[in-house]
Amino acid sequence: MHGLILILIVSLFFGGIVVKTKSICAGRKGPGIFQPLKDIWRLIRKGAVFSETATILTRIAPSIYFASVLLAVGCIPFGNVRGLLSFQGDFVFFAYALALGKFFMIIAALDTGSSFEGMGASREAHFSMLAEPAFFGVIGSLALYTGRTSFLDIFTYLHFGNYLSYALGSVMLIILVILTLIENSRMPVDDPNTHLELTMIHEVMVLDYSGFDLGLIQYTTNLKFAMYAALMANLFTGTLRALPDILIFLGTGFLLAVIVGGVESFTARLRMGRIPQFAFSLTSYALLLFLLVLFITGRFS
Amino acid sequence: MKAIILILFAISLLNISISNRLRGFARLLTLQGFLLFVLAFIQLNEVTILNLVFVLLETLVFKTIVLPLFLDYVIKKNRITRETEPYVPYFVSLLIVTVIILASFIIVQQIEGLSGNTLFFIVALSTIFTGLYIIISRKKLITHLMGYVVVENGVFILSLAIGNEMPMMVNTGILIDLFIGVLVMGIFVNKIGDVFQEANNEYLSQIRD
Amino acid sequence: MDEIALKLLPLVVAMLLGSVLIALVETKLKSLFAYVVLVIIVIGSSVPAIRALAGHPLEVIIKNPQVFGDIPIRIDALSGWFILIINLTMLTGGFYGIGYLKAYRKENTNLSLHWILMVIFHLSMLSVCVIQNGLLFLIAWEIMSLSSMLLVIFEHYKPETLRAGLNYLVQMHLSVVLLTLGVAGLYLQTQSFDFSSAMQLDNAAILPLFILLFLGFAFKAGFMLGFIPLHTWLPHAHPAAPSHVSGIMSGVMIKIGIFGILRMILLFPLSKTGYLEIIGWIILGVSLASGLYGVMLAIIQHNLKKLLAYHSIENIGIIGMGIGLGCIGLGIDNPYLSAAGFASALLHTLNHSLFKSSLFYAAGNVYRAAHTLNLESLGGLFRKMPHTALLFLLSALAICGLPPFNGFISEFILYGGLYQGSLHARPVGALLLILTILGLALIGGLAMLCFTKAFGIVFLGKGRKPLPESDWQEGPGNLIPLYVNSGLILAIGLFPATFVKFLSAPLALFIPNFNLSFFNFELLDNLQQVSRATVGLLAVSLIMLGIRYIVTHRTVQEVAPTWGCGYNGGAERMQYTATSFVRMYRKLAAPVLLVHRKNVEFPEIFPHEKRTYETHPEDALEANLIDIPIDLMQRFLSFFRFIQNGKIQNYLLYGLVFLFLIGLLSWSKLI
Repeated sequence: MHGLILILIVSLFFGGIVVKTKSICAGRKGPGIFQPLKDIWRLIRKGAVFSETATILTRIAPSIYFASVLLAVGCIPFGNVRGLLSFQGDFVFFAYALALGKFFMIIAALDTGSSFEGMGASREAHFSMLAEPAFFGVIGSLALYTGRTSFLDIFTYLHFGNYLSYALGSVMLIILVILTLIENSRMPVDDPNTHLELTMIHEVMVLDYSGFDLGLIQYTTNLKFAMYAALMANLFTGTLRALPDILIFLGTGFLLAVIVGGVESFTARLRMGRIPQFAFSLTSYALLLFLLVLFITGRFS
Repeated sequence: MKAIILILFAISLLNISISNRLRGFARLLTLQGFLLFVLAFIQLNEVTILNLVFVLLETLVFKTIVLPLFLDYVIKKNRITRETEPYVPYFVSLLIVTVIILASFIIVQQIEGLSGNTLFFIVALSTIFTGLYIIISRKKLITHLMGYVVVENGVFILSLAIGNEMPMMVNTGILIDLFIGVLVMGIFVNKIGDVFQEANNEYLSQIRD
Repeated sequence: MDEIALKLLPLVVAMLLGSVLIALVETKLKSLFAYVVLVIIVIGSSVPAIRALAGHPLEVIIKNPQVFGDIPIRIDALSGWFILIINLTMLTGGFYGIGYLKAYRKENTNLSLHWILMVIFHLSMLSVCVIQNGLLFLIAWEIMSLSSMLLVIFEHYKPETLRAGLNYLVQMHLSVVLLTLGVAGLYLQTQSFDFSSAMQLDNAAILPLFILLFLGFAFKAGFMLGFIPLHTWLPHAHPAAPSHVSGIMSGVMIKIGIFGILRMILLFPLSKTGYLEIIGWIILGVSLASGLYGVMLAIIQHNLKKLLAYHSIENIGIIGMGIGLGCIGLGIDNPYLSAAGFASALLHTLNHSLFKSSLFYAAGNVYRAAHTLNLESLGGLFRKMPHTALLFLLSALAICGLPPFNGFISEFILYGGLYQGSLHARPVGALLLILTILGLALIGGLAMLCFTKAFGIVFLGKGRKPLPESDWQEGPGNLIPLYVNSGLILAIGLFPATFVKFLSAPLALFIPNFNLSFFNFELLDNLQQVSRATVGLLAVSLIMLGIRYIVTHRTVQEVAPTWGCGYNGGAERMQYTATSFVRMYRKLAAPVLLVHRKNVEFPEIFPHEKRTYETHPEDALEANLIDIPIDLMQRFLSFFRFIQNGKIQNYLLYGLVFLFLIGLLSWSKLI
């Protein structure tokens, strides 16, 4: 339960910190930290315009997307307190619940019958497919390192004893950060501020949404960020007590937001044809990580 | 610590497989040289001080600084920036290099009596094969040269693995480095880029008997 | 025991009589009568099957010392599971067929033949599951192949249907050849046709016989064995057959191949050879390749049914992965691995028959409404057939393995087994298992790409080409089978523990010293938790929809044209097509695929005439390994065509020449 509340808290200010970081890096003062939240609140109360080709799927997709992300959030433990759901193999449920949300967003994009959304849907389907195995590889390495197969068990038994495991943790962290960037369609995969449809990936899928649905989708993006931040924070909380854990959670959320803002300010988007290689190289890194874990746990002959 | 450096080295191999900008490739070679420098410093703790200093100087000065500088100069002088479309698309290259690393892992697992040097052997084997693969699948001459540098980085790792027992092997590895340096200097001095307008290997096949 | 045989025999004879009587019923009631016969067979066979699953296997031995030897008929838990799957799919398929074949009312004899063959097909599949006498098994198998082939070529006036049927027949007979060799080998070694005598084989004979029989069954199942491209019958036969036959074939007939493999694993004492683990690894590797290949080719297909057929190859791969994992578990004596592997394989067999047959029925509805299955011409069918669209969506979500549906459950069990295996295996084994996990994740992602394309292009957006008028309506006849399947899909996904409990009897067959409480603890309790997760997912979605309704039903909701960046004309033709949706994938996977492109370049800025761009996907293995050799063989043999020129005088001449040569050779004592 604590984990869920903390993630919700982090999601409230995450978007704002990203925007603020980008503004400061660009030399401006920028809007307040809660401005994106105010935008979402305003959107939720507005009416909506739907495309005439859209069917009921467009109406229900954002809600199912939000529900799937919420269920995935429920799997994440907080230190050694279990999340709402915890069972052997819950990381499989985590990944596939997120995939359910993505599926609905993709077909809702095809629902509008516009070439822009079709393009975005196609790209989103491809990039998330290529980044998917990386997550399973990272979890496989963690499972091999700790000898456990559920989120709660893995994070409870994760000790960083020698410096080798710290290196392991940092490589895992880097892979998770890049995975976050790919899954949430940020730079260097997608520029959320571009207004050219030909270069959009996620933004163009939600081009025909308005009102409550758009607000829900924007909030879900923040929630997904907070979820990945929680996952990363869990790498380091382990068996600490409650107060340091909370601080680490909030701190990781804050740091991740700053990193995302920094990456967005200082990098350019990759050429579209390079993104599949970028996404798939994560899987190769995860495999190397697995080999490293095999080495650390002394299973080499 | 050695394990981390070797894994970082393997990561640089993956990045080489998808690099299409030549300066990026050269920077990856710089990174590899630096990693080898640190690795040599940690690993060779039983050789004489003179030998150690020689090896470290060679790695640092030659592999990390001089060779990439020469490569940069050749690249700038001949105004080539990107690799031409290779025989194998980049995505497939990434897959193949991953398979090379995994295959060398499986092969090395079958060998007995490696006395703790398994990771060295794995990374060395994958580096050598990756370098050979780069030479096979790319078109520009300069990339062939850089692929050869990768190959002998791999040979250097192999020699480091047994460097404590047989320091002469390390010195032999350094000699190969110097050979590469001479080759690059040859290109630089003789301005081979002026003679071959295209820096591809298509015309090379015309000079066969 | 003989009383039961005496009771079964009149039942079987009545069934056969009933099937022939179908021909005599008048056209309007023909389908219904046939369906009634099917239902009776279902009821008759399900009773012993359910008893077997509950732990009371049935064994009847019919004495027949002359030709066959003893004919044991054994219904154990494995047969029971498969019998139930067969019956369920025949029920839904037959029901769908009644509605589907209404359009063919005029073809009286064709219809009678079709329904008679349907009953015979059903009976033969059931017989294959229970007969354990090698010779009779082969006869039943042959009847099954022939009847299914004749069912496929229902529309025999179309040449490509005939060609697909013949292709199917030839490849099925290759599998029959292998099976015959296996059974003959068994007989030679043990002097008995009884399958259970395989237990007494000595070590040297076990492995070759097992391989022969395994290959025979694998061809039937549609595994992609790479250098032996004998999966190519699937993508031709399924689109050619009428939809209910495709659904039944994809739903259960290829599972008979899986049944055969599982039966072989049970019967042959492979643990004696010590090769069991290696066999498990090989099966795992072949299945992973088959799964990847199937889905990689499914993505670029234009024909909806061909897409679904290639996807069946992928799901057979997933089932095979479960079998492989189970064999590895048996080989290294890890009960959790074997339980997880075989449980996921058996469960996925049921799941696949549910959602694949459902998808084929929906495709049949699409064909009835639009008279084409070409994805490039379809679009916007949601308005015309909302029920079919939503049920197609449900099955598509299930087939991608997404929660809260049943596909997720079987893949979840498989993941659990693979992860547990990687924790305890040797380093190389752990690496191979992690690669399998990555492969499974990739297969899931590719399946998502495939089915977002299939569902999105067919049902959503606007129609891409004008379609002929059709007065077909959705009705109970073509929706009830979909609803029944979907209900089960949802039930298995939401309450997996109740369904997996039925697997304890079949699992006990595979795993020696099966510990029921261990099974309950490891698998079932975990699945209870999974059930909480899937039910939670469904509940939270519904709650969110409720919240959405409460918040928005008082606000203004307008409908306007899709945003077209200032230009709204020609919107149907400007939509993303199926080819463009997967274009990035086609470029990435180009080395494996074989796609013919026909396009003309535009030299000028404003082209004068209409330009076209076409892509035709082909199966690279089929083109290179089957078409080219057949082409070469035909060209070689055409040189000898002059021999068979139809003139009787020439044939008489050949006879005389032969006699003369024989006389010459035997006079010179050469022969």
